[in-house]
Amino acid sequence: MIRLYHIVKSYGDRDALRDVSLHVEKGEMIYVTGPSGAGKSTMLKLLYGAERPTSGKMLIGGADVSKMDNRQLPSLRRNMGVVFQDFKLLPHRTVGENVAMALEVIGAPTDSIRRRVPAVLNIVGLRGREEDKAGVLSGGEKQRVAIARAIVNDPAILLADEPTGNLDGAMAVEVMEILQAINLRGTTVVIATHDVGLMDRFPYRRLRFVDGKLVVGGIQPRSKA
Amino acid sequence: MNGALGRALRGLREHAYLAAVSAGVIAAALVLLGVYGLVVLNLEAVVSGWQQDVHVSAYFVATATAEETAAARSELAGRPEVLKVELVTAEQAAAWMKERMPEVEPMLAELGPTALPASLEITLKDGYTSPAAMDAFAASLQASGRFGEIDYGREWVERASGFLRTLKLLGAVLGTILVLAALFLVGNTIHLVVYARRDELEILRLVGATDGYILAPFVVEGALEGLVASAFALVILEVVHRGVLSRLHDAVPVTFDEGGLQFLPAGPLVALVLVGVMIGVLASWVAVQRFLARLA
Ligand SMILES: Nc1ncnc2c1ncn2[C@@H]1O[C@H](COP(=O)(O)OP(=O)(O)O)[C@@H](O)[C@H]1O
Ligand SMILES: [Mg+2]
Repeated sequence: MIRLYHIVKSYGDRDALRDVSLHVEKGEMIYVTGPSGAGKSTMLKLLYGAERPTSGKMLIGGADVSKMDNRQLPSLRRNMGVVFQDFKLLPHRTVGENVAMALEVIGAPTDSIRRRVPAVLNIVGLRGREEDKAGVLSGGEKQRVAIARAIVNDPAILLADEPTGNLDGAMAVEVMEILQAINLRGTTVVIATHDVGLMDRFPYRRLRFVDGKLVVGGIQPRSKA
Repeated sequence: MNGALGRALRGLREHAYLAAVSAGVIAAALVLLGVYGLVVLNLEAVVSGWQQDVHVSAYFVATATAEETAAARSELAGRPEVLKVELVTAEQAAAWMKERMPEVEPMLAELGPTALPASLEITLKDGYTSPAAMDAFAASLQASGRFGEIDYGREWVERASGFLRTLKLLGAVLGTILVLAALFLVGNTIHLVVYARRDELEILRLVGATDGYILAPFVVEGALEGLVASAFALVILEVVHRGVLSRLHDAVPVTFDEGGLQFLPAGPLVALVLVGVMIGVLASWVAVQRFLARLA
């Protein structure tokens, strides 16, 4: 599903990622981990197209996205959900409106939006909360709304950058359980986190970065074998 | 349209104040353009009235007899460049003078019936009203020896239409600057709107909205602001027009044609509305595009 070959990402003379090669298979759930500043967020930004690699090759679902231009972003993102530590919800709009945005932009018909939104809120355990303003929810609930918005289009890939970073223990576990459930339905899930306790509790393959280098879990590309 | 109108209306509700500022700036620019248009239009009407009115006044020498003036009249009427010749006898001239300036009557009476010379009022055909042609025509009259003074206001009319041309050019330059300034101000106002809604735009991008989808409601908003602004500006222009008109009538009996001071005709009015809509649309477009270009 995701293939990276010798990916380098530099900001000026600073290398955020150095020669990263990795594979993530369809339906896999993996962690991108490492200390702060290791390049986890940069890794995810490359995957959802917020940044382009400085060099190297990157395939997502078979398509080469290493040199994609911004006009191709919408089609990439319609097949990918993204979740952040700070949720990125519109606090003055309702839970339902926040989730529906992801369907409206793809021109989904109103009746399908009316069907899909409650269904996906049910998956994240927020059934019946459509009319609540997003701003009044607890952190855990906000993150679940964000996840609902990310998966309402049935994307092939779900990316989560420190999804539990702002949540206390119980809420973090809830969110992880939801991500796990989504993965079980076949979605490829990539989670950036440095929370070792959580990774131990939900054990999946770890890609460990240190200072922009992938030190554990990468592949030895054929060219170097 | 991806519900662009609905999203535009929601946007207008959510930042009504900034939308009103944008519309106000556009309306102010349109009023200035419109007032300028009104001034030029009416000056043009006056000057073109003068231009049609170009005629030569040829005053006979005092010794000219009625036969001579009549002969001169019919001779001139036969010349190809002459459209119309009217004879103003000394008596008619004196009567006209008495009517216009009653205070000079005693003086005229003292000087006798021939105080004012008889004259021919000659209107030239269209092709013969250039300064050179009129000079030549006047010279030929002078050469006949029948006339004393020969008057023609050509130079003055030329100067007035020259002034009008300068005014129009100046208006084009100032109008362009005005429209650019309005674009800039409205663009900055819309930039504030975009900034206030940056989270929403960022989320839209994240969930796969195309630039077109994000732009559409802003463009519709800009168009609506332009429309409201134009309507507002037209009302103000009409009020200004009426106010100036009534005041002008009180002050001076200027020789505006039957219609009096003209209001802008349909063409320029439509253009004004289009300029308003164009400012709103273009400013929105540029402000949002600039924001999107920086957004990942
Ligand atoms: N936009 C940027 N400009 C400059 N440097 C950046 C930028 N984004 C990230 N970096 C740098 O790249 C490195 C990796 O950052 P990041 O991917 O955010 O790390 P992590 O998410 O693992 O904490 C850091 O040294 C960071 O300072
Ligand atoms: Mg990070």
